Amino acid sequence: MSQITLTIDGKICNGSAGQTILEVARANDIYIPTLCYLEGLSPIGACRMCVVEVEGNAKLLTSCTTPANDGMVVHTATDKLKAYRKEILELMFAGRNHFCMFCSQSGDCELQRLAIEHEMDSVRYPFLYAPFHNDTSKETIQMDHNRCILCLRCIRVCSEKVGAHTLDLEKRGWNTNVVADLGQLLGQSESCVDCGACAQVCPTGAITIRDFVYRGRRNDCDDVVESVCPLCSMGCKIKAYVRTGSVTRVEGTETSSPDGGQLCFKGRWELPKSTERDRVAVPMIREGSSFREASWDEALDLVASKIKGAAKDKVGALVSDLSSNEDLSSYAALFRYGLGLGKYDVFNGDVSRGFLKGMEPVAMQKVRPFTAAHNILESDVIMTVGADPQEEAPVVASYVRVGAIKNGASIINVSGDGAPFPGVTDSDLRVDESDMESFLGGFCAMVADVKSGKDIDTSELADRFDLDAASVCEAVKLLAGAKKPVFVVGKKAAKFPKAVTAVTNVAIVSGGTFDDGLAVVPLMTSGNSLGALHAMLGQESWLGEGDLDVLFVSSTGLVDEDPETLDAMAKSRFTVAHTPFMVHPLVNMADVILPAQAWFEVGGHYCSLEGESRKAEVIVKPGDERIGVDEVVSGLADRLGVTLDRSCSVGPCESVFLSDVAPDKAKTVEL
Amino acid sequence: MSKPKVATVWLEACAGCHMSFLDIDERIVDLLDKVELTSCPITDIKEIPKVTVGVISGALGNDEEVHIARDIREKCDILIAWGDCAVMGGINAMRNFMKPEEALEVGYKDTLSTVNPDGVIPGEDLPKLLPMAIPIDDEVKVDVYIPGCPPDADTILYVFQEILEGRIPTVPVDMMRYD
Ligand code: SF4
Ligand code: SF4
Ligand code: SF4
Ligand code: SF4
Ligand code: FES
Repeated sequence: MSQITLTIDGKICNGSAGQTILEVARANDIYIPTLCYLEGLSPIGACRMCVVEVEGNAKLLTSCTTPANDGMVVHTATDKLKAYRKEILELMFAGRNHFCMFCSQSGDCELQRLAIEHEMDSVRYPFLYAPFHNDTSKETIQMDHNRCILCLRCIRVCSEKVGAHTLDLEKRGWNTNVVADLGQLLGQSESCVDCGACAQVCPTGAITIRDFVYRGRRNDCDDVVESVCPLCSMGCKIKAYVRTGSVTRVEGTETSSPDGGQLCFKGRWELPKSTERDRVAVPMIREGSSFREASWDEALDLVASKIKGAAKDKVGALVSDLSSNEDLSSYAALFRYGLGLGKYDVFNGDVSRGFLKGMEPVAMQKVRPFTAAHNILESDVIMTVGADPQEEAPVVASYVRVGAIKNGASIINVSGDGAPFPGVTDSDLRVDESDMESFLGGFCAMVADVKSGKDIDTSELADRFDLDAASVCEAVKLLAGAKKPVFVVGKKAAKFPKAVTAVTNVAIVSGGTFDDGLAVVPLMTSGNSLGALHAMLGQESWLGEGDLDVLFVSSTGLVDEDPETLDAMAKSRFTVAHTPFMVHPLVNMADVILPAQAWFEVGGHYCSLEGESRKAEVIVKPGDERIGVDEVVSGLADRLGVTLDRSCSVGPCESVFLSDVAPDKAKTVEL
Repeated sequence: MSKPKVATVWLEACAGCHMSFLDIDERIVDLLDKVELTSCPITDIKEIPKVTVGVISGALGNDEEVHIARDIREKCDILIAWGDCAVMGGINAMRNFMKPEEALEVGYKDTLSTVNPDGVIPGEDLPKLLPMAIPIDDEVKVDVYIPGCPPDADTILYVFQEILEGRIPTVPVDMMRYD
């Protein structure tokens, strides 16, 4: 891209053609106030705070939307501009009902900060006092139209990043209003996915997160720590705000990243809420129907003695794949390598195993069998296979919706129970996941046929699966004509490894590749399912296969345990629950409860669906009683006479991501 | 030279602004060495004399308040609007979304904490409400604005000190706030 040079406030600034004046100024450390602009969202020039003077141009130009040209001479801080901006601010205050003294956002509000910065000590225009609605119909966020400055950040983030397109404008002029679903209350919106992105980007007190009004404004917080959300395999980057030792709010990070700094309903609401739950403070040992407190020594002695006394094949360890690589490695060093147990696994092991086994034939060709989730945004045909992205990894669902809005991507769904994106799905093929392998096999062959110019007859395949032949034909043609198809595979499909292999075949045949790997996005279940693959994922499922003498369960307490796990715990003769929270029914099943550090107290690395190793920081330092996994594992190892070999369980991310062969060289696999 | 005189009035507002004035604490002694405080809610002198500095806290909500605002404006050289109510209308402006009669109904009858079995709305004894509560400068010229609810004691003192130095101040950015 060609380089340009402009003079801004007397400083020579370099930029490239296509950048706006604001972008060049920011890149050169020149401050221009903005309100409606937000990096990562399309600039719309609505608020006029960013106006600048350009020599030779009589008008004041909004720097966020005006392209920078070579040789431009720009002034950003003249008296004229300051007066103009101040006037704009006064009009915003006068036009709506901004009375900071009783606004919950006061002190945390970008509009207020700019008004003060511009020395607005009074408003010279008469206030309009037009009555605006305060929409409190939604449990999580509220919308006070009195505070809205119509910057449209909320509307843009909701459509451009979340892809929900819930919000829009109604009416004109002074009466313009942000509305949901063309006139619904927010609480009644059917399209809103409750992600809270709109509240995160709102610069004023117009959309606020109800909880946070009381838990503390950003400015009231003592600390902000960047970390990772462990709740699903997306591993979204988060900013955690800490106030007097507790996490008061969680926000997404860079709005310029592909995800637009959004989080989903899980990350946004559950993470801060979890900090309020009852903690396990000290080790506890069951006595009859209740527990008594114990010292770490006593508790670990007891656990070690039970493990020692049991036959190896009667001891099991089940560990959460919401744990960091480091914690998973520690558990692996003890249970898998040190004790040599055969029965070790992570929660949802079946899903991860399904993906692993299904992708193995391609991985064996040294091709990376999957791609970073955000590549969905570049795709023109998105096929969902046995997947419910909005439930399994909600930001992936955003990518699918945005892909459909932005690229007009077609969506093909193949699943047993209907389309996860109703209304925008172009082709919905009902095929039960157990039949998926065979259906996709036939489907794949036809895609290959169309690609090589042959005629196809879909009636036989359609008949076999009770589908409409024309719909199957349409889906085949869509995929065969796709430039960048992508395949989002869900946990229902992963229950059948061969179905996963069949999807990779379709990806290969239809040319679905990205630079980093095959165009398959496996919706792994938990924050670090990918990391767990090589550390603690068992070979086969063993839960429920006979009673155990000892079962060690490590839970982060963030996700409910599945019935199968609880059942196994109930049947085990001696059960250890290593958990930060007093979660029921988990703790009811335990004979010993060991306190664990909570997600916000643990640092470490996560392997995300974005194909990155992401670092989670310690957000709040744990108290002394809450020792880390490593110390618990060492304590047990000492008592069991096991020497921990840490080298055997190092950084699993790298090996998952191994790729020596370009993805377009991948060959289809015999099913 | 005789000490400059200061008069303050408290219109439609709570006592916060004047309390903030007292919050300048012992520094008020130095200030009183330099200025003469004439009529104010503390001295309770009803007649506003001719002064150098006039101060208004509170918005304008009725006839009488407009009268007082005009009076002090006439009697002073420099008029200061103290606090969000005086500067922007403040909390009083919450009634501006309804008619004055409705506001009286709500205030005297409808609120949960009201005990008024006969439903009497005082009429004759009350000055007539304006259609809306308005900032001071909707009615008279203001020379110095000090926003804040209430304004900080330090800011109030700063403004007096500047005036004593012969300057008409504006509140600097690092001292300004609206709440
Ligand atoms: S939204 Fe901001 S500017 Fe408006 S009243 Fe609230 S704090 Fe003040
Ligand atoms: S919560 Fe999310 S989906 Fe709902 S309106 Fe806001 S941005 Fe849109
Ligand atoms: S609600 Fe907030 S983000 Fe949306 S237009 Fe109004 S001020 Fe902007
Ligand atoms: S999409 Fe996943 S990682 Fe992102 S916020 Fe939601 S649960 Fe957390
Ligand atoms: S920031 Fe440029 S017009 Fe709003």
